[in-house]
Amino acid sequence: MSEIISAAELRQLVGAWLVQGRRVIGPARIKPERVLFVPLRDAGQLLLDDCQRPANSAKEAVFPRHEKLYEFRFQGKQVEILDAPPPAAPQVVIGARPCDAAALPILDRVFNWDCRDAHYNRRRDLTTLVTLACRQHDRHCFCTSLGSGPGDPCGSDAMLYGLDDGNYEVRTLTEKGSALFTGHTHASDKVGLAGPGPQPVLDPHAVGAFLKTHFEDPRWARWSARCLGCGACACTCPTCHCFDMVDEGGAAGGAKVRNWDACQHALFTLHASGHNPRGTQWQRQRQRVYHKFHIYPQKFSAILCTGCGNCTRNCPVQLGLLPVLNAIQGGGRIAPGEAVR
Amino acid sequence: MSTQERLHETCRRLLEEGTVQVVIGYAHTAPGEPAFPVFISDPADVGQLVWNRCCLANLTKYLLRQEIRALGKPAIFVKGCDERALVVLQRESQIDPAQMLSIGVACRGEESPRHAACAACDVRRPRFCDIMIDEVPDDPPPVAASSAAARYADLEIFLTKTPAERVAYWTEELSRCVKCYACRQACPLCYCQRCIADKNRPTSIDTSATLKGNFAWHITRAFHLAGRCVGCDQCTRACPAGIDLRLLNLSLARAAELQFAYRAGIDRQADPPIGTCSERDQESFIQ
Amino acid sequence: MSEPDAAGFEPKIIAYVCNWCTYLGADLAGTNRLQYPANVRIVRLPCTGRIDFNLVVKAFEIGADAVLISGCHPGDCHYTAGNYHARRRWMLFRELLDTLGIELDRVHFHWISAAEGRKFQQVMTEITEKTRQMGPYRAYREICQS
Repeated sequence: MSEIISAAELRQLVGAWLVQGRRVIGPARIKPERVLFVPLRDAGQLLLDDCQRPANSAKEAVFPRHEKLYEFRFQGKQVEILDAPPPAAPQVVIGARPCDAAALPILDRVFNWDCRDAHYNRRRDLTTLVTLACRQHDRHCFCTSLGSGPGDPCGSDAMLYGLDDGNYEVRTLTEKGSALFTGHTHASDKVGLAGPGPQPVLDPHAVGAFLKTHFEDPRWARWSARCLGCGACACTCPTCHCFDMVDEGGAAGGAKVRNWDACQHALFTLHASGHNPRGTQWQRQRQRVYHKFHIYPQKFSAILCTGCGNCTRNCPVQLGLLPVLNAIQGGGRIAPGEAVR
Repeated sequence: MSTQERLHETCRRLLEEGTVQVVIGYAHTAPGEPAFPVFISDPADVGQLVWNRCCLANLTKYLLRQEIRALGKPAIFVKGCDERALVVLQRESQIDPAQMLSIGVACRGEESPRHAACAACDVRRPRFCDIMIDEVPDDPPPVAASSAAARYADLEIFLTKTPAERVAYWTEELSRCVKCYACRQACPLCYCQRCIADKNRPTSIDTSATLKGNFAWHITRAFHLAGRCVGCDQCTRACPAGIDLRLLNLSLARAAELQFAYRAGIDRQADPPIGTCSERDQESFIQ
Repeated sequence: MSEPDAAGFEPKIIAYVCNWCTYLGADLAGTNRLQYPANVRIVRLPCTGRIDFNLVVKAFEIGADAVLISGCHPGDCHYTAGNYHARRRWMLFRELLDTLGIELDRVHFHWISAAEGRKFQQVMTEITEKTRQMGPYRAYREICQS
């Protein structure tokens, strides 16, 4: 026995969520070649085509690119500090992929590590994640190499499985998921299936073992030589979470804000002294691989990556994680200058 | 000998004879997949180099990177649009042509364009390169010159919108910017060691990805490229949010051409409009 | 800046002026008791050549309803060619503003010399009146507050 919803009913339900005042984030075709997660203006914008995962990630729902932490106002020599208004609207992310959903438990650990990040947790509590299981993948996907897969429910509140007739099987996994779908689905005997996903191409433990002993390996410079330092990988990655905090405002006051940052930016580790421990682009690229496959695992016993492939998908020079991981996987036995996948 | 074979032979010879120490070119993992930049120092590896319509990146970006300069005197593959960047970089004293070798490769413009800009391109064959790789039967010379009307056609269509519609369009486009700075990093003419976007004390451009910060950034970047942008489209290609940056850059390129008869990177001797001035400039908006 | 009601709208105008010509022209207007509207906030710079295009954007960011840029007449620049560089800059920058949909009618350019106190008075008065007719410049402010 399963619960199903038709494509039309699902779209109507999304419309209803919007009318109820929920913020609904889902994939939309922004340009002919570009699908992105965006806050939907209407249900008609929603694209649930499972052939192409959005070029950005759904992390924006819980970790926005910009948020106010607190506000301050000057009155003469007095400074008044005010809490930034918290997000009030409940929100739904619909059409996330398993690689987006699996990122949430990963982010939960960082934002509840040595202090509980109130801003993150408030958004997290307000968010219900409805994931679309993948029936196809492209050459950049490698979720199956990291213990996940096209039907992985980790991090999701509800899962949608596409049926051959264009409708969806709905599986609610948490109370939040049930709250959204109960009463809106029909009993059925149809069962949706996730696709097989990509063939696993790497062993993260072998990668971890390599990283433990090869920090000074001269091949890092070669593998990452073409990196432009553009930050597109970090910004489109579901698990990257580095941020910058700055004061913004004027003579009357302003706010302390938190913005996305990227370890690929040249000034990310610039010290006030002028020294930069990661002064070259290949050092910054090396750092990204280490953070994801060595440093985060040491602290949290999990990998800071869900294999979504957005880094390589968005990279203007076809770098991202997978080419470097493949090079490592090949025992690092890459001939000088050899083209790296 | 096919184009590919000529290419390999030329690069092998250049490296073996020590004319250059590194070849900056393109490689791919499989035909049909996007080609990516490679840096070949060993003559035995030149077989990896490819030239096809999947060679999208502008390699001139790497000429100013210290780690690449350290590899030695380069030979660099340039398409016609990339070569325009070389001209500007030379004019701005950022590169010395005597310290590098340019290998020109021609685009067969009739095939699927690499970028939106390709349709109106009139530099499909590099003009000033040290070595030109195209004199072979299976690579006929590409279609010649386009016109200003063709170059700025997309902009002209855009400018039929009212000012309010234009603001609405850019508000929509720039709302998606996440300040990743991929546009800046991909652009060969954005080479400032300390970008104004990174300046604080005081902050000139909000780093936040708010509309205010995004407008400020894109206005600044577009204008800092006034008369310098060569239309290689790397910024638009690199943007993960699909923002139509090309339209902003076209606006200033058109202004430079219509007002000063100047196109960046076309004429090696021409004076760029910003950085030079003339008593004879004519305008009608200053009373 | 607070939003005034339509009846009592007082435009806020920022004038970026060069020290050697327009600023002295403003001084001359002052010493001759030539009245001009108090809506104008004058920002003095050494030369129009120094006026960064971003200053125009900044003025609108903080709520200006119009911007004036004024300096020495061509040929009279205290630094010889600063105003020629400025002129070029504005010839190009206006195109960018236009493409963005920012109202060009709210960005004014003049040459006002140190001897032109009366011209300074006239220009300020005209710009203030024109901006009053146009109303507050909401579009860019809304962008900056969203």
